[in-house]
Amino acid sequence: MAKAVDRRLIRRRGASLLWAGLPLFVLATAFFLPLANVLLLGLRLEDQWTLARVRAVLADPYVRHLFSFTAWQAFLSTLLSFVLGFPLGWFLTRYRFPGKSLARAFTLAPFVLPPITVALGFFLFFGHTGYLNHALQKILRLRDPPLKLLYSLWAIVLAHAFYNAPVFARFVHAAWSSLDPALEEACAVLGVRRFRAFLTVTLPLLLPAIFSAAALVFVLCFLSFAIPLSLGGARYATVEVGVYLYARVYVDLPRAAALGLVQLLVTLGLAYLYVRGGGRWSAPQERLRPLPTLPFPSRAAHGLWLLWLLGSAVLFFGPIGSVVADSFTRPLGGRPAGLGWYRFIFSPEHNPFIGTSPLGSVRVSLEVAGFSTLLALALGLGVSGALRVLRSRALEALLMAPLAVSSVVLGLALLLAFHRPPFVYLSEKHALILAHALLFYPFVVRIVRPIWEGLAPGWVEAARVLGASRLRAFLTVEAPLLAQALLVAGAFSLALSLGEMTAAAMLSRGELVTLPLAIYRFLSARRFGAASAMASLLILITVAAVIVWEWLGERSLRHGQA
Amino acid sequence: MAKLEVENLTKRFGPVVAVAGVSFSVDPGEILVLLGPSGCGKTTVLRCIAGLEHPDAGDVRLDGRSLLGLPPERRGVGLVFQHYALFPHLSVAANVAYGLRHGRLRLSRTLRQKRVAELLALVGLSGYERRKPHELSEGQKQRVALARALAVEPQLLLLDEPLSALDAALRMELRRELRRILKERNTTSVYVTHDQTEALALADRVGVMREGKLEQVDRPEDLYERPKASFVAQFLGRANLWPARVVRLEPPRAWVEVAGVTVEAEVLAPPQGEEALLFFRPEWVELGRGPFRAELREAEYLGDHWEARGRVQGLPLVLHTPTIPANPLNFQIKRAFLLPTGH
Repeated sequence: MAKAVDRRLIRRRGASLLWAGLPLFVLATAFFLPLANVLLLGLRLEDQWTLARVRAVLADPYVRHLFSFTAWQAFLSTLLSFVLGFPLGWFLTRYRFPGKSLARAFTLAPFVLPPITVALGFFLFFGHTGYLNHALQKILRLRDPPLKLLYSLWAIVLAHAFYNAPVFARFVHAAWSSLDPALEEACAVLGVRRFRAFLTVTLPLLLPAIFSAAALVFVLCFLSFAIPLSLGGARYATVEVGVYLYARVYVDLPRAAALGLVQLLVTLGLAYLYVRGGGRWSAPQERLRPLPTLPFPSRAAHGLWLLWLLGSAVLFFGPIGSVVADSFTRPLGGRPAGLGWYRFIFSPEHNPFIGTSPLGSVRVSLEVAGFSTLLALALGLGVSGALRVLRSRALEALLMAPLAVSSVVLGLALLLAFHRPPFVYLSEKHALILAHALLFYPFVVRIVRPIWEGLAPGWVEAARVLGASRLRAFLTVEAPLLAQALLVAGAFSLALSLGEMTAAAMLSRGELVTLPLAIYRFLSARRFGAASAMASLLILITVAAVIVWEWLGERSLRHGQA
Repeated sequence: MAKLEVENLTKRFGPVVAVAGVSFSVDPGEILVLLGPSGCGKTTVLRCIAGLEHPDAGDVRLDGRSLLGLPPERRGVGLVFQHYALFPHLSVAANVAYGLRHGRLRLSRTLRQKRVAELLALVGLSGYERRKPHELSEGQKQRVALARALAVEPQLLLLDEPLSALDAALRMELRRELRRILKERNTTSVYVTHDQTEALALADRVGVMREGKLEQVDRPEDLYERPKASFVAQFLGRANLWPARVVRLEPPRAWVEVAGVTVEAEVLAPPQGEEALLFFRPEWVELGRGPFRAELREAEYLGDHWEARGRVQGLPLVLHTPTIPANPLNFQIKRAFLLPTGH
């Protein structure tokens, strides 16, 4: 009897080790080993361990400028995102209006909208000869364009705010609508006016969400790449851009590695603060009935809201709308383009501006996105399963480690690794596929894991009591419920990969020019029409992914909780 | 303490009439319990009084002054919520002091501290000032909620099923304590519950609600002994309600025929026509002899008595007997009331 139990225990432990071992092995060879290369390059000089390189980097006034500028713009961007996003979260919480679920879905856009399309949109909308200046000139009868936004700190901050205000909106909305409406009612019957009740009860209870959103937005802006690269010019480079410039433009790999190491330390510190702070700030909330909403538009809704909504609509839809409009209206060969630019981006002819054919770029993007998504799904499922079997914080930290590494450092690590065994037989394209899989499988885990863990254990137990084996129970009970989550995660990962530019820029070589990179190159060469058509394509894919997420995702989540 | 008058209160949610013309008054210092099954509109009545809902018709007056135009924060009405609604980010002391600090009074810190200490002593939670709500048991949370509502000295205290989330033993203990505190402070109160035992134990008067209407408002013993409607008779305690034919009507007495037997009954609300209901409680019978012969189906032992169920010529019957009942069982009705049919 005892022996049988023992054997089963051993078998179970063996299965657990296999579960955890497989994703760990993949991460060890594909992530930790390459990362070690960066460490070696940054910390070793003439076969000796030394901090000399790091110290030299830190002493460099340009690098110091990079760091202080990066932190400053991230701070300003976070602040402006909050100012723009908080009212949006308020609005989503307080009012109901037709198309609300769609509006809520679009607060997800910043997670998947490729930054390069935003940068392009800013050029077309806020630029010197952009739509906004054009309109203002017409209205105000000016000879010169009144707005000079590009190539400044403010262009970057505004673009980041555009990008991240919805993050605040989403976090605030989620936290606010989970508050018990009786709290505000309690304030009222205690004789407290609404504004004071907001300041003393609602706002303090929203602070954890605001803090989380701020931390997330700060990190996203700190690690921003495509926007400062294309909107800031050389003067307004972030650390992320700096590593790229050292690695790929000045080809000073050791310096890039040292700078990357310092950035890694900073991001690890931020992540630590976030985790520490997050734990302390979150207060358990029990929600008993939904928060009441007011219809909009209505007399109860303040007229200021309309004005504010109009303003944000201009900011949010102006740039994106400009991209789509430009792709159809910019003249091609002296004639109105119509679908001309779309025909152009599917042409197999070599284009000197991007260094490959536009069609080749589309093709390579799809190839990279497809394979990296499959890899990310497999890895994400493996990691989720491992964390389900073995609950260990250390293991979780190991398995989710790529989250803490910026895209540029990951790109650098793979760039270095692919010149050595065991990767020497693979090409940069494989490196990029791997990079995207590593960058995006944590999102797969984020989506799949809560649903997997949320499945009532009773379901599997019921299946097994009814005679199904463990495997059969997984296939007939868990898998169908996970399928939707995987579909959502796949759509998300695909969209993210298609829009990713940092690792793509780090690893690009020869024909390996993905869509975002091609857009960047067209943009740099001021070939807007082609850039707009490609960007519109990416926007379309993003929108599709978001819609899949919102409808399917919410359904499967509800399923999981049932 | 103030007198509350509710007059013809009506509230609709879309097509649903939640409250349909409810009128009652509560005297200064009195505890009125609104009792009814869930969804009968009792909580809506409470929320209309507090100003959290706007009634479609009717009036709410406190000492003769209408409250309807006032927002909740200016009504001087306290409310204890069903799930307490304690502010999770504030300590017990800060929760109790909240209305004193941010409300109309704006007391100084020393006065606030004094009042908080006094109230926490009243609800038996001295020494818990620094705890956060999530560190309290359910019963303690309920006491804090009560202290917070009482701190601003409301002219009227409303309580929305305040004990429903507690287990049975605690509910009984807190019920006694609640009545003691409310009576000690002479607080005019309206208390909403679906628990009949709670209502009978706590109330000076009970109003029974059904589908948005107030069926009867009376002292608990009158409500139990002399219900005016079959719903009230059924909702409070066990009841036998037999369709009967009126033979003679001489209010306050009447004679009816049921199962071939003529029975004398008291008339509370005169029936219209010949059809009526004969109502008697399971214990209002004399066992062993009499014109009725019951076929019993089952008997449950409930500690101090047996509860037996069966039929008399097809009519459902429930009886309380001191010992295990014989079967079949002869009995006669000692006391009965005539109620109108309907509903």
